[in-house]
Order: sequence, then structure tokens, then C-alpha cells
Amino acid sequence: MKGSRCAFLLGFMVGTCSLYVFLHQVWFERSYPVLSEAQQSTSGVGRSTSESWRKEGPALINLLHPHHAGEDSRRSDMLFQRVRVLCWVMTGPSNLETKARHVKATWSRHCNVVAFMSSVDDPDFPTVGLGTGEGRDQLYWKTIRAFHYALEHYGNQADWFLKADDDTFVVVDNLRWILSNHTPEEPIYFGKRFKPYAKQGYMSGGAGYVLSKEALRRFVEGFRTKVCTHTTPVEDLALGQCLEKMGVLAGDSRDTLQRETFHPFVPEHHLTGKFSKSFWYWNYCYYPIVEGPQCCSDLAVSFHYVEAELMYTLEYYTYHLRAYGYRPRYSPSLPSGLGLDLPTQTEKTAGHKGTLEGTGRVTQTIPVTLRGNQPKEEVVSERGRNQTSNLLSSGNSTTTWTERQQ
Amino acid sequence: MTGPKNLESRTKHIKATWARHCNKVLYMSSEATDFPTVGLNVSEGREQLYWKTIRAFQYIHEHHLQDADWFLKADDDTFVVMENLRHTLSKYSPEDPVYLGRHFSPFIAQGYMSGGAGYVLSKEALRRFVGGFESGVCDHHSSIEDMALGNCMENMQVKPADSRDVLGRQTFHPYPPDYYLLRKPPRPRPWFLIYDRYTPREGPDCCSDHAVSFHYIYPQEMYTLYYLTYHLRPYGYQYRYNPEESTEINTPLVTA
Repeated sequence: MKGSRCAFLLGFMVGTCSLYVFLHQVWFERSYPVLSEAQQSTSGVGRSTSESWRKEGPALINLLHPHHAGEDSRRSDMLFQRVRVLCWVMTGPSNLETKARHVKATWSRHCNVVAFMSSVDDPDFPTVGLGTGEGRDQLYWKTIRAFHYALEHYGNQADWFLKADDDTFVVVDNLRWILSNHTPEEPIYFGKRFKPYAKQGYMSGGAGYVLSKEALRRFVEGFRTKVCTHTTPVEDLALGQCLEKMGVLAGDSRDTLQRETFHPFVPEHHLTGKFSKSFWYWNYCYYPIVEGPQCCSDLAVSFHYVEAELMYTLEYYTYHLRAYGYRPRYSPSLPSGLGLDLPTQTEKTAGHKGTLEGTGRVTQTIPVTLRGNQPKEEVVSERGRNQTSNLLSSGNSTTTWTERQQ
Repeated sequence: MTGPKNLESRTKHIKATWARHCNKVLYMSSEATDFPTVGLNVSEGREQLYWKTIRAFQYIHEHHLQDADWFLKADDDTFVVMENLRHTLSKYSPEDPVYLGRHFSPFIAQGYMSGGAGYVLSKEALRRFVGGFESGVCDHHSSIEDMALGNCMENMQVKPADSRDVLGRQTFHPYPPDYYLLRKPPRPRPWFLIYDRYTPREGPDCCSDHAVSFHYIYPQEMYTLYYLTYHLRPYGYQYRYNPEESTEINTPLVTA
């Protein structure tokens, strides 16, 4: 009698314990406070996309320039309104979930209009069906059709037309800065310039390239008049040759310090990789290759071969992570013709990452490291008229800057 | 914290990137070299980690106590943004007995700071740490460096401080950003999230704009992170997140 009671109790205990351990794991999961989508948007982290996008056919029109709480983006908002960019992303049905979705969730939110170009219509994603097949040999067909589609349907809603792959990461705000020095009536296009096979060179497909409206018109016109035809599936070269025939200029997309902005590889590759001398890249680049930290502009526009996870990480690095206490050391101005009258930057110390009021002058300042025996980088000021930069190095740890413009 | 094997492969790249932003940097190893490294009286290996830490702090206390107010320990695969560290520390005084880092809760009542993410002691905390060993209150009872140091801190009444930013986002990270930034499908919570004292967040809200450290960064990534932190940014934004300044956002543009 006693024995069976003991056995019962023992069994009961074992059962309860195992049940507890099992359920503990499940409760653990439930109690893990991962914010749901709804909670995320109300907490202000990343605007929920539904109210700020309008779906127009298979393209997405951006109604609101993405903002984060506590930021002053007046200058980039102004550019958003004045320099309208249509981004079309070359993708395909098999890449929608693995690649295009992440483009949609990250950098493409900064475009004025976004269209995902595929071989097949997908009204839910949404994608445009171009009526081609898939595969490398279809690339130029897709490009031709995509550009024709963009001009026909969205020609009025954009001034510049960017092509990117679904593994290209683009900083659209920096693209607008480059384009702000030109007008959409100029027959010009920008990208990572390659030199072979075309007299003025052509732009790398993977790094992305952007056509002015006039350039796009001429591209479409070229096909209408049969000056341009589908010569080869090598999309970037063929497009470059067509544009050359139609009198479109291949622009120099480098920044004011001659640093590249469009990049055909991931940042790490450009910053730390050593390209072997036999690598094709050496013979292709139009401008001299710089290896190491000067490879890439502070205002870089694009990187290629960016995997899905890296899209989010790059977005964090670009739009969020930064060192406290600096004003942007490289802060080139906008052309004064854009009519932006922002109040002159007052000389506040600490915490400002403000941009300087531009009237065509550029100042570059580089962070100074403390302690005498560590390298001090110079303050370089370019193109300045009566411009002085004062470096104040305070005794305690934080380095603060004030700059005066006269 | 480094060793002879890692000088060329790892520490050299730290020296070339973020270490330049320190007021003073010391490379602690088992041997003194021209790198320059400090030779501590230990051997190499995971078992020796706490010995190295103890000796390193004792060395600093003896030779460099007056050179700084705060004393950061980092590994040779940690990336640190020094300006953001200074910003985080600006709330505290070096005479406060506090130390900061990624606060873990288990094993110690008041918790302890993750070793890999790096931790920083105030001058008072350093004095107490070294004093604890002199008086015998603290001893080398475990080779698990971060936990053992946390134990000593507790015994010496040094308080762990909250290193999160004003929006509650973490600044010290024991893993690279993509471990936190990317929302993963439901799975058993990994240890580094279970250990967190403050409710961990996954997704874009995980990490402060003014993040201080990331760990398990391989050598080339040091340069990449340096570029991405100090250089790459989008044009046209002003202080997108500044804890002190109030911003005038969305004021109407004055157009010509």
C-alpha cells in the first residue's frame, strides 16, 4: 500500500517536473518580448510603410520621406522634393523572397518611386512583368523593357531613373546630392565608370547607374529609330554603347575629392581587399583605383554583391551608427541655385552633426586624435575665400569643433 | 587584451583604427615587445584570462593611474567607438565607484559586465579592484574573467551602471551588429539574450545610434566598421539623434 503510494507520488513528481520543463521553454518563447509589427510602428521605430506609400499599378510611390524621431532632415527633404528619383530594381520571381524583399524593406524606401522589374507580374509584391524570360541572357532585354516602362508610366513623376540589382545597396540621399549639380534636361548618366569597349566608357551594371530624363528619352528614341538595338545581353555595356550613340554623356560620379561613390563590391572589399594585378578590375576602371580608406567617398552612393542581411546592417551603419561629437568632417554644399534658405549654422559645440550653409565652398575637416605622439590629421580647407577653420582642442576628452565661415 | 600570436593578425589593425582615438592605449600581453606591448607575468590561454586581467589592472594602477579617469578593457576582436564611450561616461564622475558595460544578470547578485563587449572602470572602481586583491577580499577563484571581476566588484561595493542610451538602446554589444539587428524566426533564445539584464530587443531598435562596442569583429572588419562609423553617412541630415539637443523638425522650408 505504502509502496504504491510512493510510486504514485514519485511518478506524479516526475510528470509535473517534465511538464514544467517542457512548458517553461514554451512560456519562455511567449514571454520573450519581441515587438510585433504593430508595436514596432507605434513605438516609432521605422515608420510603418502602409500609410506612407501609394501603390500605383505595380510601382510604389513614396508619399513621405522616411524620418526617424528626433532628426532634422530638412536638407534631405528638400532634395527629396527637388531631385526626384525613380528606382527600378532588377529582380525575378525566384529572388523576391530572398533578395528583393529586403531591398524593399531598406534602402528603396528613400526613392520617390520604386518599381521591381521581373519577368512575371506579381500584384502583391508588387512587381512589373516585363514579358521576358529569366537568366543572364535576358538581362539587356529586361533593361530595355524596364526603361521603356518607366518612361511611359512614370516619366512625369521622376527626374532621374536609377537601375539597381536586388543585391545592390544604394544611399539615395547621397545620390541626390550628386545629381543636384545637374538638371534632368542634360543628356547625362552616372555610375561606376568602366573604360573598355566604348569610347567614353560605360557604367557598371551591378553598382547601379542613373539616367537623366533626357538620357532616358534618348535611349527610348534610339530604339524607336533603330539606332539602338539589342546587340548583346551584356546589359551595362550595351546600354553604354547605345547612350554613346545617342549623344548622352558618361558623367564623373566621383565626389569633390575624386573619391568614387558607386562601388561594384561590398565596402569591406574596397577598403581592405587587395585586388591582384591580374584581376580584370584593374583594366576596367576608368579612373585610377584607390585601395584602402580613400577608396570610398564619405558620401558613397552604392555597393554591390550585398547579401540580404548586409542590407539591414548597412542601413544601420549608414543612417544610425556614428561617433558622438563631430560635425561632418566632409560636408560639401549644394548648388546655391536650389534656393534653400536654411538658417546659418550657429557654432554650437558637442553633438551636432550639422551641415554647413553652402555657397560653393567646401571645407574638409578630419577628426584630430589626442595625445601628442599619436598622428594628428590636418584640417584641410578647399576652395575657400577668406575661410578659416578653427580647431579647438579642449583639455578633456571630447574634441569639439567650431568652424567659421565668412 | 592580446597575446604574441595575435599582434600581427589582429592587434595591428586595432592600432591602425579605433585605438587612435583613446587618450592612452596599452596592449597587454604575456611578453613585452616593441609593438609596444606590456609584458604581464602570465602565460597565454583562456585559463589565464583572469590572471591577465588582474595583472593588467594592477599594472595600470601602478603606472598609469594619473593618466586617465576611466579604464576600458577590450579584446583584440572588439571594435570601440571612443567618442560614444566618452558620451556615455559623461554622466558619471571618475570618483564614483561604478563600472559600465553590457550588463548580464546571472551568477552574481548585482550582475556583471560581459567581457567580450568590453567594460570600463572608473578611477575609484580601479582603486577598489586593486585594493581588493591587496586586502584579500578578492582573489583568483575562477578563470572566467568577466564573472570573476563582477564578483570582486560586488564585494568591493562597486556598482554596475546602466550604459543604455536615453531611448533604452544598448551601447555595448558582445556580438557583431547583425546578431541583434536582424529579426530571426522564432527560435529558442540564444544565451546572450537570456543573460541580458535589461529586456533585449531584436531588430532596428536593438542598438543605439551612439553604440560603443561590438565584439567578434575580425581584422578586416575593423577598417570597414571604421569607415562605416566615422565616414559613410547620408547627405542632408542634421543630428538625427541627439540626446541633449531639442530639434526643430519639420519646420517649413523657406523656398526662394
